[in-house]
Amino acid sequence: MNLLTHAETVALALSFKVSLVGVVCSLPVASGCAWLLARKHFFGKPLFEGLLLLPLILPPVVTGYVLLIVFGHHGAIGRWLDAAGLSIAFRWTGAALAAAVMAFPLLVVALRNAFESVDRRLENAAATLGAGPWRIFFSVTLPLSLRGLVAGLALAFARAFGEFGATITFVSSIPGQTRTLPIALYELISTPGGEGGALRLTLVAVTVALLAGLIAALMLLRGGTREAEA
Amino acid sequence: MIELDLALQRGEFSLELALQSSARALALFGPSGCGKTSTLLAIAGLLRPEHGRIAINNHLLFDSRAGVDLAAARRDLGVVFQDARLFPHLTVRENLRYGMPRDATAQTFDGVVQLLQLSALLKRRPGQLSGGQIRRVAIGRALLRQPHALLLDEPLANLHREARVEVLEHLRGLKREFALTTILVSHQPDEVIALADQVARIEDGRLVALEDAHAFEVSSFVPPGGAHAAGAPG
Amino acid sequence: MRRIQRLAACAMIVAACAPASAMAAATPPTIFAAASLEPALDQMAHDGALGSPAPRLVYAASSALARQIENGAPADIFISADERWMDDAARHGAIVPSTRNDLLGNALVLIAPVGSHATVDLAQGTRALLDALGRDGRLAIALPDSVPAGVYARQSLLHLGMWSALEPRMAMSRDVRAALNLVVLRQCPLGIVYRSDAVSEPRVKVLATFPDASHKPIVYPAAIIEGHDNATTRALLAALESAKARDVFGHWGFTTPKATAVRQ
Repeated sequence: MNLLTHAETVALALSFKVSLVGVVCSLPVASGCAWLLARKHFFGKPLFEGLLLLPLILPPVVTGYVLLIVFGHHGAIGRWLDAAGLSIAFRWTGAALAAAVMAFPLLVVALRNAFESVDRRLENAAATLGAGPWRIFFSVTLPLSLRGLVAGLALAFARAFGEFGATITFVSSIPGQTRTLPIALYELISTPGGEGGALRLTLVAVTVALLAGLIAALMLLRGGTREAEA
Repeated sequence: MIELDLALQRGEFSLELALQSSARALALFGPSGCGKTSTLLAIAGLLRPEHGRIAINNHLLFDSRAGVDLAAARRDLGVVFQDARLFPHLTVRENLRYGMPRDATAQTFDGVVQLLQLSALLKRRPGQLSGGQIRRVAIGRALLRQPHALLLDEPLANLHREARVEVLEHLRGLKREFALTTILVSHQPDEVIALADQVARIEDGRLVALEDAHAFEVSSFVPPGGAHAAGAPG
Repeated sequence: MRRIQRLAACAMIVAACAPASAMAAATPPTIFAAASLEPALDQMAHDGALGSPAPRLVYAASSALARQIENGAPADIFISADERWMDDAARHGAIVPSTRNDLLGNALVLIAPVGSHATVDLAQGTRALLDALGRDGRLAIALPDSVPAGVYARQSLLHLGMWSALEPRMAMSRDVRAALNLVVLRQCPLGIVYRSDAVSEPRVKVLATFPDASHKPIVYPAAIIEGHDNATTRALLAALESAKARDVFGHWGFTTPKATAVRQ
């Protein structure tokens, strides 16, 4: 028995693809920013932090509009993408970027907390053993912050999954390309008689959000990182 | 040859130290809070002195006037921290191998493992080790870096009696075996006497004496059954 | 003491019974209007043609507005961009049926960015549009299931036999002004919007007008919200229906609907 219509299934699958790709691709950048915030002091750090939080504070439509004029056709970056045949305007990759940008602050905050919870003394010990900053990060910081990392990814994924305003403003609604589950949901509640489908999709969205929340809670409740032994 | 000439400021606390020692094993001795550990961290490159010069065996590690400040990773030292700082997510074997140079041989590894009697522990994680075992792994890890000098921060601190004896014996064995330039920080006279060739007494952030181990032994009071607090009528 | 308390209680009761119109006079009336009416209504409010104090104007897709009104949003007048959503509001008892009136009409046009060299003759069929779209270009329209402009666009394209060829080439927006914006920003080489939208935007030009017969008549019904029927609101509705208002609307590309019969 089909629980969802074909169009709804397409939207659901697209949402998974868009959110996963968006979050995974933003992980390196988010890690770098989170590490800088957790471990370094530099001139303009508060401004940097503020900039990273922008997508959280700006209305999503504004963020979508900025993405449109930067990454759309003729945009500052979009024109180069178009020339290289890598255009993301009106494509699922554009939806992934919108989702990634909106989830980015959440990911950075979670990763920063995870990195800060790693005992710096262990990192210092690794340094005395000859490890450079990259080795320290991958062999000490990252493994010890893994729980926090997974929790952050789960939360960022949930945020990306629910992303609506920036996506529809940037890449519109194109079935199979950019009509993600939240957009399909919006269309259904905007259509007289669409309440049944809207309810189905709402239940799906709630389930995904609950699962993500559960993963995050499990990761964070089991005591975070183990501190250094005496 | 150990050349230390440094000034440290940490909050209200300040330390000024200038000494030269050709001893193989130098101890920095003094009560808690006198700056010994900070000195060690400065030598290791984890703390920056206000100004000064640090050189060990003709390796220049820090020179404020010449603008030299080697990163900790480049100082080629083996550091045994007071809190051991073993990596909790790695096995004992992985901890030991962490700082090993690429060209180190299996024999070197086995040698250290045997000397410190760690073979039975290799597959365990730090969380499963006793205090004395942890300390031994930390020492082994520092040694396997094949550094040109070893820094020990209160190596016998917080160990109960059997562990102290055990670790002390191992340290003595290492001293015999490796003859590595060593700087040892401690507030306990028996450690110092057992392991050091020369002792620098530090009080209130100043060097008050630099004497060889025999003289130190004479001038410090060691109650039977193990030492507690430092120092003694000079 | 007891006397003062009783007086205070009486005062509160009197205040609570104050007629609604007295309250309404304190706050300006609110019009929920379809997005495409924004430039015209803004101008009228600014020029004082809608009375004083100028009403509060809330613009959104008719679908969103209707849902909000049905759920008790504090609007006095609702102007929808199609009959469907006004019918929906009526079904939910959200409007005063006797005040419903077809206020305006509009036409559907095909637009392109003002610098575009494309020419399209709708009579020639789909080929012309596909050529104008090129290889990657998309046709900007409002959501065809829910937004009136999109509904009319689909009706027209179906009528002209162009829908199935063009559907995979579409980029569907939240409302008609977002679709217009995509053309303004040159993100899409073609778009389908109301003539009123094209008239108000110098950065686009009209390539063709969809025949009136190809879609249901575009009417903008207006009605007073249930529970907000009072002198002030009636006056506002009259102002919207006045000849002066019609002039302004006409200037912005709207038409007078053929049938102005009052509906039940």
